[in-house]
Amino acid sequence: MYGWIWRHLPGPTMVRVLTSVVLVAGVVALLMFVVFPWVEPKLPFNQVTTQQ
Amino acid sequence: MTTLDTGGPPADGLLSPEDPPRRPERVRTVVRGIGELLITAGLVVLLFVVYEVYVTDLVSAGKQRDATAALDDTWKDGGGGVDTVPGPERVERFNGLNEGSGFAKMYIPAFGADYDFTIIEGTTEKSLEIGPGHYRGTAYPGEPGNFAVAGHRVGKGAPFNDIDLLNSCDAIVVETHYSWFIYRVLPKGDEVQGWAAGKGAADPRCQGVAPLGGPYAGLVGQEIVRPTQGEVIAPVPGKSGAAASAGERATLMTLTTCHPRFSDRQRLIVHAVMVKQWAKDPAKPGETPPELKETS
Repeated sequence: MYGWIWRHLPGPTMVRVLTSVVLVAGVVALLMFVVFPWVEPKLPFNQVTTQQ
Repeated sequence: MTTLDTGGPPADGLLSPEDPPRRPERVRTVVRGIGELLITAGLVVLLFVVYEVYVTDLVSAGKQRDATAALDDTWKDGGGGVDTVPGPERVERFNGLNEGSGFAKMYIPAFGADYDFTIIEGTTEKSLEIGPGHYRGTAYPGEPGNFAVAGHRVGKGAPFNDIDLLNSCDAIVVETHYSWFIYRVLPKGDEVQGWAAGKGAADPRCQGVAPLGGPYAGLVGQEIVRPTQGEVIAPVPGKSGAAASAGERATLMTLTTCHPRFSDRQRLIVHAVMVKQWAKDPAKPGETPPELKETS
């Protein structure tokens, strides 16, 4: 998977390294700001109230 | 000829390096792909832990700071940053509070001098992200009844991370616009027996703290309940329909959080009773009650 992506990145090695850093940062940002906030309320340790 | 006859496979066997490797190659690609996926999944889970434990703390700390600043602003409404509200008007007003707005501050000196949180109205997810949330419909600070507050134990600033470590008689100080209210944790289940002769007499902080009687009989400082047991935040905790007569009505505070940590199987409940109330003196701004110094 990662090998395939690496082979398909254009440009010389330095450019590829930079592109992959940007890609990783993008994925991390997507997880942090979109996926995790969405998943989080569905997880158990956030329920601190009793039923009223 | 005899030297070449090694008894091995016939001539086409020599072609084998050409053909069969293609299949192991494909298998290897698939296995590697699965392995990479699993490693990626592990990294994502690790990243989620980082998010939950650190990033939500940062976000909540910002929101808590904003709420505290907003509350300080409303408390300074006398103008020029000075509390100049005249005597007869120094009455707490809690009605009409909006969900998500701060209205009081809480301090637990036993957790250190830097433990302070602005209490937010309401217990929705959004409110609890800002800080400990007041259950709507329960009493307000200093009012007879049960001032009930929920707080996170994991991430989001985790205000109630350590409330399982609260001992009986530990102070929970609540500051409002004009007053300080001193609540103290009630005796725990194993301390009720012999309280008057034991800790109740030995510890000077325990003045005014004793197992409650009347409708409150059996109420202890800490309990672990099922999430469905909403009666723990009732005016008479544990008895949802019961009402105490005016003469024996106690002024209680109840903290709720999840239990065990990282789980929602149960709820950890801490009950405290109000023992003292200090009115803020407009002539001495910045004066704090002596209970705030019980930082041991």
